[in-house]
Amino acid sequence: MTGTAAASPLAPRPIPARAGVGLRAQHHVQFVRERPPAAWLEAHTENYFHDGGPAVGVLERLAEAYPLSLHGVGLGLGSADPIDREHLRRVRDAVRRYRPALVSEHACWTHVDGEHFNDLLPLPYTEEAVEHLAARVRHVQDFLGRQILLENLSVYAAFAATRLSEGEFLAAVVERSGCGLLLDVNNACVNAHNVGLDVARLFAELPVAAVQEIHLAGHTRRRVGTQELLIDDHGSAVPDEVWALYAQALRRFGPVPTLIEWDNDIPALEVLLGEARKADALSREVCADAA
Amino acid sequence: MPPDRPDAPLLAWQRCFAAVLHEPGRGDLALASSLVATQGADAHARIGVYRNNSLQARRAALALAYPVLQRRVGDDYFRQLTHEYRLTHPSRSGDLHDGGGAFPAWLQERLAGTDYAWLAELARLEWAVEEAGAAAARAPVSLAALAAIPAAALDDTSLQLQPSLRLVSSPFPVWSVWQANQGEGPAPAIDGGGPEHCACVCTADRVAVYRLAAAEYAVLEALSRGATFAAALEAARSEAATLARVLDWAFAEGLVVAVNPSVRA
Repeated sequence: MTGTAAASPLAPRPIPARAGVGLRAQHHVQFVRERPPAAWLEAHTENYFHDGGPAVGVLERLAEAYPLSLHGVGLGLGSADPIDREHLRRVRDAVRRYRPALVSEHACWTHVDGEHFNDLLPLPYTEEAVEHLAARVRHVQDFLGRQILLENLSVYAAFAATRLSEGEFLAAVVERSGCGLLLDVNNACVNAHNVGLDVARLFAELPVAAVQEIHLAGHTRRRVGTQELLIDDHGSAVPDEVWALYAQALRRFGPVPTLIEWDNDIPALEVLLGEARKADALSREVCADAA
Repeated sequence: MPPDRPDAPLLAWQRCFAAVLHEPGRGDLALASSLVATQGADAHARIGVYRNNSLQARRAALALAYPVLQRRVGDDYFRQLTHEYRLTHPSRSGDLHDGGGAFPAWLQERLAGTDYAWLAELARLEWAVEEAGAAAARAPVSLAALAAIPAAALDDTSLQLQPSLRLVSSPFPVWSVWQANQGEGPAPAIDGGGPEHCACVCTADRVAVYRLAAAEYAVLEALSRGATFAAALEAARSEAATLARVLDWAFAEGLVVAVNPSVRA
């Protein structure tokens, strides 16, 4: 077999500092048949846990055609319960099978006393939570033999136990675990509205070198109690206020691989690729100004 | 090693949060208020967003695995069923796919004795399709592998079939219902119909769902357990012609991954 050094089976294709799209089952056939011009793809790790079958076959092929990121939603690294070793083993198998350039999870908890809620549940920003999450991240990184990125969460409440700002919390986890960060700009936008997060302070508190990926998505408004909250539903185009925060993020963190996430009411792939082109244009504009 | 029991406050906090997720009643108002910085009814409503997300995630995963069932019973009844199921079958996995396996058995109990008992059978078929689509596919062997076996040794020959093969035998016409609901548009009514026997298998890039005659199903079922040709015929109380038909079909569809000659040879 012949090939270039870049095609080494051990070296995944690096993710460019451009905008890619989330791979969803609705677009599998189109991706396999047409190889549309996406800069890179991100897949939800748990959707490709199986031993085989059509979905696994699709991702195996696409992993050869596009730079790939695997984004997990089920490990619940902040859970006080023992780490789910079987789930972690399946993550490792997926990393071995698809050889992604980036692997990420969330700064959240998902299960307690053996019951999983299958949602990204928020942590109180405390010293204990930093210690616990950092220890879990170190364990996962040791087990996978690589760094992972941790994503900031969207939240619907602020907690009485919290003692640190969100930025202080995440920066401390980075410092104690050596992980990177996946900055979800929509989540920051949602939190600013829902719990009064100071986004400029968040960006300032995050170590620049740690931010290796950005997520962009849409949200919706819903009446909750006496308040109107922003719900992080990934069901619409990236709204203006998120684009504005993205520009701020680019000024602080520079050009970073950016993902268009869309999980509900998923539109035609062309719509996602259009959002990615918009992100690329904004990134060029902001980073040219900054240079 | 990471600490498996970190500082107790975090565990207690998560238990408290879980209690509020479980109890949408008024009793948890105080609990919610102890967690959330915003006091009063809003604290409860805010954690309700997570409760709703968790419920929706579970329902969406079941809807993905049981699309025909959802279509037949309608969204409202499906929502009711999944809600009841969730109460007795809390999720035990961070992979939502794992939570759907017990649904057919639960439905069978839930609908026993009603006119809708057949829905549990339909669910059984849909889960078999789901499992087949998640299993590894192995390279099939051709009929030539069988031709290499001397005629005298055929009785003691057995097969290895695709690991994705799932067999469903039902007193209801589940295959017909499943098949009728694969396309877009309104599903045609299924008039009467008796038992149906199905084989689901993932070969190459798709899951195929076959309907088999009772005798052929019995032979295939025996072969799938590793029975020799002679034992399969005996177990199925079938004729050699039935075995021949099953073999022709199984090789043609790529179901056979190995031919095991007699162990006595």
